[in-house]
Amino acid sequence: MTQIGYLKIDDVVLRDNPARDSCFRVVWQDTDMVEYSEMSDVGRREIVHRHMTNEITSLDIAADCLAAFPDAPWELRMELARQCWDESRHVQVLYRRLREMGGYKGEFPITVFEWSITCALDNLAGRLTTQNRTLEAGAMDVVGGLHRTMREAGDDRTADTLEGILADEVQHVRFANRWIKRLAQRDPRVLMKVASAVRFLAMVNEKFQNKEGETNVVGKALESAEARIPAVNVEDRRLAEFNDEEIHEILRQAGFRSLLSSEGTA
Amino acid sequence: MTANVNDRCRAIATFRHVSITIMETIARWTPTTPEMEAKVMFGRHIWDFAQHADALGKRTFELRQPEHYTLRPADEYDSFLQETSRIQGTAERVSAIYDAVLPGLLERYRTYVKASDPILDQPSLVIIERIVRDLERQLSEAAALRRELNIAGEAPAFAARERSIANIVSQRM
Repeated sequence: MTQIGYLKIDDVVLRDNPARDSCFRVVWQDTDMVEYSEMSDVGRREIVHRHMTNEITSLDIAADCLAAFPDAPWELRMELARQCWDESRHVQVLYRRLREMGGYKGEFPITVFEWSITCALDNLAGRLTTQNRTLEAGAMDVVGGLHRTMREAGDDRTADTLEGILADEVQHVRFANRWIKRLAQRDPRVLMKVASAVRFLAMVNEKFQNKEGETNVVGKALESAEARIPAVNVEDRRLAEFNDEEIHEILRQAGFRSLLSSEGTA
Repeated sequence: MTANVNDRCRAIATFRHVSITIMETIARWTPTTPEMEAKVMFGRHIWDFAQHADALGKRTFELRQPEHYTLRPADEYDSFLQETSRIQGTAERVSAIYDAVLPGLLERYRTYVKASDPILDQPSLVIIERIVRDLERQLSEAAALRRELNIAGEAPAFAARERSIANIVSQRM
């Protein structure tokens, strides 16, 4: 594979899939995923496998941003390069955990949706908005609750792994917040690209979101998009330099289900 | 001996360009390389080369040029790196970088060190000695990757071509 092209689904132009080991089966819809309702051994393995492959996608995205925008400010390129290293370590540590659990690469279907959306955008501000500031910030909310859930299920090892990863993700969101502001201060037209990226993400999400009542391959009932908003990880969003107004807006959208700070995030 | 400040700065600025080119090449390869283990190795090495470029760029500021002053290498070497970046296939990519480009680059850094005034140019040597350690580690990690993925190594023609390029340092200022 030399270049990765684009594909059109209805009227939406997305980026075609990045390269994956042949053992992986890439799917598009949540209904094709093997996500379990319970925290059984296989359910927890699927979670770890899914997060591992999501980190591969994050690595691909950061690397592509670094290569595709050679004229970006050097300090921003350093952040992207550092993110490449962070994401590669996340893949390694989750793969290690997966094998400890008796799992293997390709055991479950995977998605590369974040790549398909983010790398369809032709500007770095838009990509930082979509991937780092929205999707990875959302992952902070998910993982913020997930590591507690794992611990409650008696899986301290997976919980520790996820908590370590979460600390790195704060910086990925934070540098995006800082650089979007900095780029917009230099050129206010950047805000148009940010707005355009936000609209694009919302439009794609709506098009591909599963409908309430649908079930996945293993029979798990899939909730609607609105019902699946995780509890907001207020502490880490604050560390990632979301301001109070932004956090309040996210809490408002989530129905004010905020994550209570019962543990430090250090 | 790399006697004067201009000579040293040209070399450092050229090494910076090379570090960035290799960083960008590996970054461009990452999404189009299927093997997870190769992507993981590339991820760390991308950061290595970014740090090399950063340190070299801070050094150019100490040698009477702007921070992050960068010089395109001599034409033949520049073309060689551009051709490397177009290589397809994981085994071929790993061979090109880790059997040809990086061993050659290591030698060039070592040559610079030997030719330098160890006291006057010590700030450059401290940076380069760290880069050399990183490159040696990278070669070891690439060898481990090849064993893990059971992919063939060695790109003798490519390595020979790299060695045939006498000078990579730009004469432009």
